[in-house]
Amino acid sequence: MECRFLSGWGRFFAGSLLLAAGSVYAAASDSVTAFGASGYYSLDAGLNASQRAGQEIWYKATAGNDRFHTYVFQQRIGVLIDWYRILNGRERDDRFAAWGLINDPDCCQPGSAGCPAQSYDETYGFDWCPGDDALLRSVGKSDYRDPACDFTEGPTAPGDPHGGSDQRQSACDLKFGTSSGVLGLRKFPNPRFDAARWREVNGGRVDTWAGYNRPLSSNPENSDSRVSHLRDGSIEPPFRFGMACGACHIAFDPLNPPEDPAHPQWENIKGVIGNQYARLSEVMASGMPASSLEWQVFAHARPGSTDTSAVPTDQINNPGTQNTLINIGRRPLFENEKVDRWRKVSACPEAADTGACWCEPGRASKCWEKSEQLDTVHHILKGGGDSVGVDLAVQRVYINIGSCSEACWVNHLTDLRQLDPQQRNFGQTPMDIGQCRRDCPNFRAIEDRVNNIVDFLLSPRLYATDLRAARELEVKRSDPAASYTQADFIEDLELEFGQGAVSRGRELFAQNCARCHSSQQGPEETRDFYAESQPGVRADFLSNDVAVPVSEVGTFRCRALHSNHMRGHIWDEFSSTSYKERAPDRNVKEATEGGRGYYRNISLLNVWAQAPFMHNNALGPEICGEPKNRANDFYRATYVDAAGALLTDQPKCWRYDPSVQGRYDLFKASMEQLLNPAERTPKITKVSEDIVIELGPRLWDGEEEKQLLGLKLVVPAGTNAGALGNFQHKEFLVDLILSKVNVKRLRERLKASPNADAAEEVITELQAIADQVIENPAAFLDVVRQRPHLLALYSSCGAVEENRGHDFGGELPQADKRALIAFLATI
Amino acid sequence: MQNSKSSSAIPLGPIALLAASALLLSGCGKQPDPEIRFMDYAGDYGSKPFFARVEHNLPLTAGVEERRQLALVTPKYLAGLDQEKVDQIYARLTAGPIPDGPFDGDLFFPEGSSGKLRAAEIVSGLKSLAIRFKAKKLEIIGSVLWKGKVFYRDEMLLRNRIEDLALLAPLIDDMLSVPKIEVNGRDSWLLFPARLYCGQSLLDGRRESVIIDYAFTDELPGYREKPDFLAGRRGFQVRDEIRMIRPGFYLGRAYLGHTFVLNFTLYNDAIASKELDRWIETGRTSEDCWVGSQRLASTAVD
Repeated sequence: MECRFLSGWGRFFAGSLLLAAGSVYAAASDSVTAFGASGYYSLDAGLNASQRAGQEIWYKATAGNDRFHTYVFQQRIGVLIDWYRILNGRERDDRFAAWGLINDPDCCQPGSAGCPAQSYDETYGFDWCPGDDALLRSVGKSDYRDPACDFTEGPTAPGDPHGGSDQRQSACDLKFGTSSGVLGLRKFPNPRFDAARWREVNGGRVDTWAGYNRPLSSNPENSDSRVSHLRDGSIEPPFRFGMACGACHIAFDPLNPPEDPAHPQWENIKGVIGNQYARLSEVMASGMPASSLEWQVFAHARPGSTDTSAVPTDQINNPGTQNTLINIGRRPLFENEKVDRWRKVSACPEAADTGACWCEPGRASKCWEKSEQLDTVHHILKGGGDSVGVDLAVQRVYINIGSCSEACWVNHLTDLRQLDPQQRNFGQTPMDIGQCRRDCPNFRAIEDRVNNIVDFLLSPRLYATDLRAARELEVKRSDPAASYTQADFIEDLELEFGQGAVSRGRELFAQNCARCHSSQQGPEETRDFYAESQPGVRADFLSNDVAVPVSEVGTFRCRALHSNHMRGHIWDEFSSTSYKERAPDRNVKEATEGGRGYYRNISLLNVWAQAPFMHNNALGPEICGEPKNRANDFYRATYVDAAGALLTDQPKCWRYDPSVQGRYDLFKASMEQLLNPAERTPKITKVSEDIVIELGPRLWDGEEEKQLLGLKLVVPAGTNAGALGNFQHKEFLVDLILSKVNVKRLRERLKASPNADAAEEVITELQAIADQVIENPAAFLDVVRQRPHLLALYSSCGAVEENRGHDFGGELPQADKRALIAFLATI
Repeated sequence: MQNSKSSSAIPLGPIALLAASALLLSGCGKQPDPEIRFMDYAGDYGSKPFFARVEHNLPLTAGVEERRQLALVTPKYLAGLDQEKVDQIYARLTAGPIPDGPFDGDLFFPEGSSGKLRAAEIVSGLKSLAIRFKAKKLEIIGSVLWKGKVFYRDEMLLRNRIEDLALLAPLIDDMLSVPKIEVNGRDSWLLFPARLYCGQSLLDGRRESVIIDYAFTDELPGYREKPDFLAGRRGFQVRDEIRMIRPGFYLGRAYLGHTFVLNFTLYNDAIASKELDRWIETGRTSEDCWVGSQRLASTAVD
């Protein structure tokens, strides 16, 4: 490890030379400090000024979401993040195995050789990273100058109606902070930090969160065993942490993976293809006890996937993978879509309503007007929900990771505790983009530079990473003069899969797969899937990007039922009218109106490096990190028998292995499962511990806790986690009350719902439940659980098996299946 | 719009306003209601206007005239509004300075659009429900029991003022040792300690409120298990938040376990007497909490 750090610092000197030579290296403040030279800037090589700026935003800009990850999520949403558990420097070497997060090569453990920080007291227990000399001086003060203020701007977009003079929002509002030690997670000094209080909380120490994140009691019978001071909003930790795009998207380069995933170098980093190992769901709930509803329902996404509609909840449990971004320039566009959105203009009509046209005060001709027009747009997200332009898709992601959350977002979200249909936050309301632009400077800071981000996404950083090239690089490590040609590659594949396998696989792909997984026009048989549109850029996106009804694909459908882009919901303004007008999928029992019910055909570019498969990473072997700290081992057994019970003898999970061979082996095993659907062992994610919900006061007599009023509800381990997350408790409770106070209205509600046919039966059942609960409130869960058919009617998604569907190719002879796998390894 | 025409209100001098509001707060005066404007809404949550729009279209504290109207707001006026109007007022306020010293308190339960108490609207008809709602009774009990709060700004702590210990007697250990202060010539016992900090409003995230948090009440000086636990994390998990209507007068919201339960007001006559005048004229007050980017943006534009 020491050698690696030394080599890291060695790159500093190389970087300095480049700076001196007037290279493209940016002179941001964290690139020029004595020890703080950032190897990050080596990534700039080969990019133009706009791409370089976009890349830096992608890697570093949080747009102010540190407040979300410090205050909003904890206090308003009620979910706690234990940042120390994730980022403490002492567990840096175990971080990838536990959380799947990628260590920043520029950071170091205090006290390690060459590290500017000598002790964890200096860094409050965290890694030391470039720029921290200035940042650490500002902890507890309001004098921090964010490195983003020194951001080297890229150019504005050619032809931008707001162009001419530079009218961009201050770059300071991009808010970079410094690295947390993990790529994509950034830290900021907390001006409210009180060192004396912090010491008091943590037993006199500043280098730990031992008193802040420790349960108040070690006695499991005491409810304080499920409480820590992370809940105490009066305690201000030394840092606020924020999140950049890179937190989810930065990954190991399939061409050049690190020898040791805990100690990557910059040349091992690929910023855009998506981290297949990240456990962001666990990160976001890391301060919650394992017996909490929040942990059990949300913190179970497979590595590399997360439920991005968990915070803006639609009450559909639907983890999805980070979308892999490769060759975006070849991604299909869709013409003549009805798009109602804000558009840049140079002036507004006099006395225009600011809800329809608005000019930024203090700027010249920097205006936006809202109108519906026919546009050519991409379809982004699993079902194509983001469909009003790439710029707003980027902005939506920033909002979804907490930027402008206070000014523009949380007032529109569903509060799961709000049970009164008359009160705000009973359900979602649409985020207002115009209001957000007006009221949140961070929104404008990103918007004014989104052309740079898009340019970065079109840069060579997103070019394909073929298995042949990866193998060639491996060969060259031992012999720089060696080569590994396409012919060598085909030969090796045919040794493995049989003579002629690749060409036979190409035929099969054209006949069976290219209908969805190719962007070329014309007969599939004649398509050249390897052709380049320009040097280094594959012409075929290997997907037509068309959204197809979920019943046609047959995969786990909860994600397709995602409802946040529907009219009246949180992302209403980010989806096109054309999206909202898509026909429902009548072949699934849940409601699919309003645009939902679809999955896009995903690109198979470099599929060899993307396993496991499907939108939830459920198809293929389960993968796990096996961290040394077993408390951070989040792997959950999911293989079940025909009755849905967990197998006692679970197949072993595959340890994270980002090496070329590791990815390839995982690809092959996943393909075998994909093409042999009858042989898949079903997977269902279960609640792994009893969930304890305590309602009402309990008196502590010094030895024992006594319940005075209320009740304690326990959801047993083994319950399907998805079913719990999908239960529409608000509708259920509203209907339960209506069944006693207004049957007529309940009948009207039910007749207008997907449960219309069962309306009378539901009314009778609800009335019976209400009578029993009135008699004995503590029996609520038991009373409800006795009626699984009723629970199913109040579920937003009834799908259970997470790895079913996409049975295409299952009927092929075994030799053809192997041929198809061989061909897919080449694309 | 339901109400408007703030321009038609007769401008009153600050001194007259001060006298009027002091009288009103003491319940002895009679004064027209303030002319505060609200945006339209209906019963369903989806019909409620976005707070950012309400504030943008109908700012509440931006001009002298608006502040004059705020100076006429009384607890009685607020208690007569349905909950949506109370919410639209709260969302247009800032936290103001973290209070210091004793404040008189008043409380009122949310009223629904039918004019009934909201909780009663929800459960009306559940004749056999054991917990049938008795909000009015609770309101009366609360008013008798709870007389206000005492803020210890330097320590960022708060204690609640109870004037009649008899009702709580069965729940209190060693009544004689309960600390006592005198406010306006009357004894108040201090119970239910809480932490103070700037934090998230559970209604309106656009700016912070002053949070009164009882979760870790057992760690505070003077805590006594009985009855203070009732407000803490093992009890009813009380969390209050307040924003300033005008100097010395705050509007609060009380939550039990993140569920909104009731509104309350806090009033300190000494602060009001001293600062109201200047505040009406200048709109200036210290802000201890984050005022939000919407407020900062509108200030910059102004």
